[in-house]
Amino acid sequence: MDSGGRLVQSKTRYRQSIRRGTATLRAICSFFRTSSCFRSSCLARCCLRSTSRFSIGTSSSGGVSGRGRLFSVVSILTPWPWENNWASLRSPSYNLWWFALRNTFIYVIVVVPAQIIGAFFLALALDSRIRGKKALRAAYFMPVMLTSAASGVIWRWLLASNGVVNEILRPLGLAHGWASDPNTALWALTIIGIWGGIGFNMIFYLAGLQNIPEELYEAARIDGASGWDRIREVTWPNLRNTNFFVIVLSIIGTFQIFGIALVFAEGGPYYSTTTAVVHIYNTAFVYADYGEGAAMAFILFCILFIFSYYQYRYRQQEEVEY
Amino acid sequence: MARSNYDYPGYDRSGPTYWTKTTLLYAVVVGGAILWSLPFWWTIATSISAAPATTSVALAPSDLTLGNFQTLFETQPVGRWFANTIIFAGSVTAFNLVFDSLAGYALARLDFAGRDKLFLLFVSTMMIPGMVTLIPVYVLLSELGWVNTYQGIIAPLIAQPIGIFLLRQHFKSMPSALGEAAQIDGCNQFQTFYKVYLPLAKPALATLGIYTFITTWNNFEWPLIIASDSSMYTLPVALFSVRNEYFTEWGLVMAAAAVIVVPIIIVFLSAQRYFIEGMTLSGMKG
Repeated sequence: MDSGGRLVQSKTRYRQSIRRGTATLRAICSFFRTSSCFRSSCLARCCLRSTSRFSIGTSSSGGVSGRGRLFSVVSILTPWPWENNWASLRSPSYNLWWFALRNTFIYVIVVVPAQIIGAFFLALALDSRIRGKKALRAAYFMPVMLTSAASGVIWRWLLASNGVVNEILRPLGLAHGWASDPNTALWALTIIGIWGGIGFNMIFYLAGLQNIPEELYEAARIDGASGWDRIREVTWPNLRNTNFFVIVLSIIGTFQIFGIALVFAEGGPYYSTTTAVVHIYNTAFVYADYGEGAAMAFILFCILFIFSYYQYRYRQQEEVEY
Repeated sequence: MARSNYDYPGYDRSGPTYWTKTTLLYAVVVGGAILWSLPFWWTIATSISAAPATTSVALAPSDLTLGNFQTLFETQPVGRWFANTIIFAGSVTAFNLVFDSLAGYALARLDFAGRDKLFLLFVSTMMIPGMVTLIPVYVLLSELGWVNTYQGIIAPLIAQPIGIFLLRQHFKSMPSALGEAAQIDGCNQFQTFYKVYLPLAKPALATLGIYTFITTWNNFEWPLIIASDSSMYTLPVALFSVRNEYFTEWGLVMAAAAVIVVPIIIVFLSAQRYFIEGMTLSGMKG
């Protein structure tokens, strides 16, 4: 393994970046506390009321050293802390915000591609000459209409240790406490996200497919292109805009996951499903720490603004129609 | 309308490949659809079965009973929650229709200084994720003393940029000769709006109304924060609290879920198109 040295290197670099990140967070907080130009705005007013409940930034007593192990580069890529010491998350010096952001990133990275690829092929299938198109579309779209509280509760029950999913898996020897095991709770959450999101994206792809002129397919067919060729050479390039829009929308939407996570497992077990917004909610409304909550919300806004801006620009260009 | 990539007119419908392809396609799509709708079915099935201490994978509910609903309605103020949700969604929808149409009309048809800049400001608020403004709005309302009141739940949602955007577009696309004729006939500005243009915007109003009603009905985040008293809960929040109360009595919890799911299915089957229109426009589930 020649990558060992590099891994250590990137580990230290990563630790530094965490330090720098917390420093930035501190700076933002102090900026809000001290700045007078923002004092009139409501967000800043919230930020003035900070009473530290979780320590923002690292506690001076070497908070990083404990975290460095937990947050190795590898652990970022796996949905559970590398050393499996969930209990360390319970210690008050641990800054949950980064952990929540990491959970959110994992959720987004898993759910968005799955949703989009699934939705694309579904739209292709439901756009061909197939019987019962309306009913099929309705079936896939129904979860989109469901309030997040209901999806959370329903899936909690389906995935309970004596729930339906385990009843099906038990004969296969695969029964598992999906929602109560911190190693799988986030995976369960991604499944709910995919279930609830495919129909949503499918609508946009269907709209995009309607706009592709028939003649292009005719031409491709005359040139002797096979089915796959036609998808690759005609459908895919013509959906470029739709793709872009759907990806941006999905990212914005999944990043703000809140209701499902809260109802599904209250952000537990061991904070494994505490996403960014769940953590903001807990900080602001459970521990009544509006200042810190608002600071985190501001960071979330900064992350999402990039995507929102592009979506806004896109919307100026063209109109989506069903 | 035949989509062309597969099974177009003149497609070779004979031979084994066609049948394999078709069968595969149907199997995958229909199988997926069944998988997608099963959670709904299981919810309703559990809510009308007796004693679901352990669930069975039986596709049909066992021992049909309405006992779960009876217990739920006797122990919890479900009627009140239902009324709250209707009040919440109904008034938010009504306010939205009024304010969005007025604003949309003004931004489309009236000439005043800074009109387009104002519109740009409205539209750019769409770039702010809903979650970000939750805390400031809550703090503002709690300083007004509106926590746990109807006006507190309703007030922040009475107008939305997406509605203004939609109606402005509609009013812009209508011929200006209509308004001019009305003015010559002696209508004032408001009459022109109310008697001439508003009736023409009915389809847009229907879309906006239905979309707003459904998204407000489904809104979980805002009522969760602002309604701390159980008498002020809306159905989604109530479902959350019921789940925390009857942690493992899934029959009861699923009965509470069914109270939300069944109306949604009914509304969905009748008003799906409007909802989808509103959704594609705003690009949000709500």
